[in-house]
Amino acid sequence: MNHCLVLFFQFCKFSVLCFGGGYMLIPLLTAEFVDREQVLTMSEFGNLLSVAQVTPGPVGLNTATYVGYVNEGFFGSLAASLGLIAPTILIGCSAAAGINRWKETFLVKGMLKGTRLAAVALIMFAVTIFLGLSVFRTAIPWESLGALFRFERPVLPEGFSVSPAGILICGVTVVLMLKTKLPTTALLLGAAAAGALLSAWF
Amino acid sequence: MEIQTLSKARRLLLLYCSFFRITALVVGGGLAMLPVIEEIFVVKYKLLTREELLDMTALTQTVPGIIAINSAVYIGMKIGGVPGALAAAAGAVTPPFTVILIIASLFPRLDPKNRYLLGVFAGIRAAVTGMILVTGCRMFRRTVKTPLEIAVVLIFFVLAIMKVSPALLILAAVPFGWCYVWWQTRRLARAEQQAADGGKPAEKAVEPAAGPRENGGDAK
Repeated sequence: MNHCLVLFFQFCKFSVLCFGGGYMLIPLLTAEFVDREQVLTMSEFGNLLSVAQVTPGPVGLNTATYVGYVNEGFFGSLAASLGLIAPTILIGCSAAAGINRWKETFLVKGMLKGTRLAAVALIMFAVTIFLGLSVFRTAIPWESLGALFRFERPVLPEGFSVSPAGILICGVTVVLMLKTKLPTTALLLGAAAAGALLSAWF
Repeated sequence: MEIQTLSKARRLLLLYCSFFRITALVVGGGLAMLPVIEEIFVVKYKLLTREELLDMTALTQTVPGIIAINSAVYIGMKIGGVPGALAAAAGAVTPPFTVILIIASLFPRLDPKNRYLLGVFAGIRAAVTGMILVTGCRMFRRTVKTPLEIAVVLIFFVLAIMKVSPALLILAAVPFGWCYVWWQTRRLARAEQQAADGGKPAEKAVEPAAGPRENGGDAK
């Protein structure tokens, strides 16, 4: 029960910090549950987000429900989902009418500018997390890259390699998203089928 | 039109059911919900005008929180006040909560052993990577305009890689934003002053202030 309360407030925090859509939850969640509390491994988190993306419903809510369940079962799910929506409801009911009026004030303008820049950086960071789960077979070894700046030969960690299937599917998805108007569902189903087929070859 | 005269209770029920339907059917959430919201609330029931929906869309992307719930709360608020916001949010939460709960209780640990299932997950992860990449690039193009802003984004990015807590980064971004906007307005005012004085192009007077990043940072 106590832990459910903790989960509730954790997700309240994520909700308040989540500027710019559900993907912003990725860095927040991995920092909390993979790096700090270690209730999930990175690859489990990747699978979890895949399920959240494939099932109908907003990715953020799906992920919250799942993370809550992995932590504390049914009540964990409930606490996490409620935590994610509680601040939104509070802000919405108290300030919804005002925000459009305050949009031009210095405080709101500055806050939006700053958080948007941070959001862009954190989404780029989320991309690197997911590259480590798909295109590369381990997390991106930043320490090894650091060696390049010291003019040393980088030492790649055990098991680090590039997955051809990952590159192919990721690349095709990007091209299809930019060039066509295929719905997300079609892209994901195609990727799932391609993944199953390619796993037979590689 | 006739919907405007609906009793309060019917209105709440309509909000609950509409958002239930929206999150139950739309994969991807957030902005993918928008066309469906428009179809239900603007075209079918005429509870919102198209302009109101546009305002709402801009708003849901500026306030914190996930976009899907933001839309539910703000539209609910507009149509039915605070009870409306609660009804819409409850409707939006119910389907994903139930579906994910069922999936999660079937597979408490998502660690498949089957080769093809592993392939399916790998495929979806790769597609999700592409989707986040495209979303990120679109956001970058929309938000980041000057070299200074590019530098700031890069600094935040490197800090995130160096395991600085993302929550801390977002919090730090707020005072930075205040300084930045303050500096920008001041620079603009000075440029205008310069232009008003006639003479030289504004660029020259601005140059020294534009130099070190600290001017926009936490120096002041």
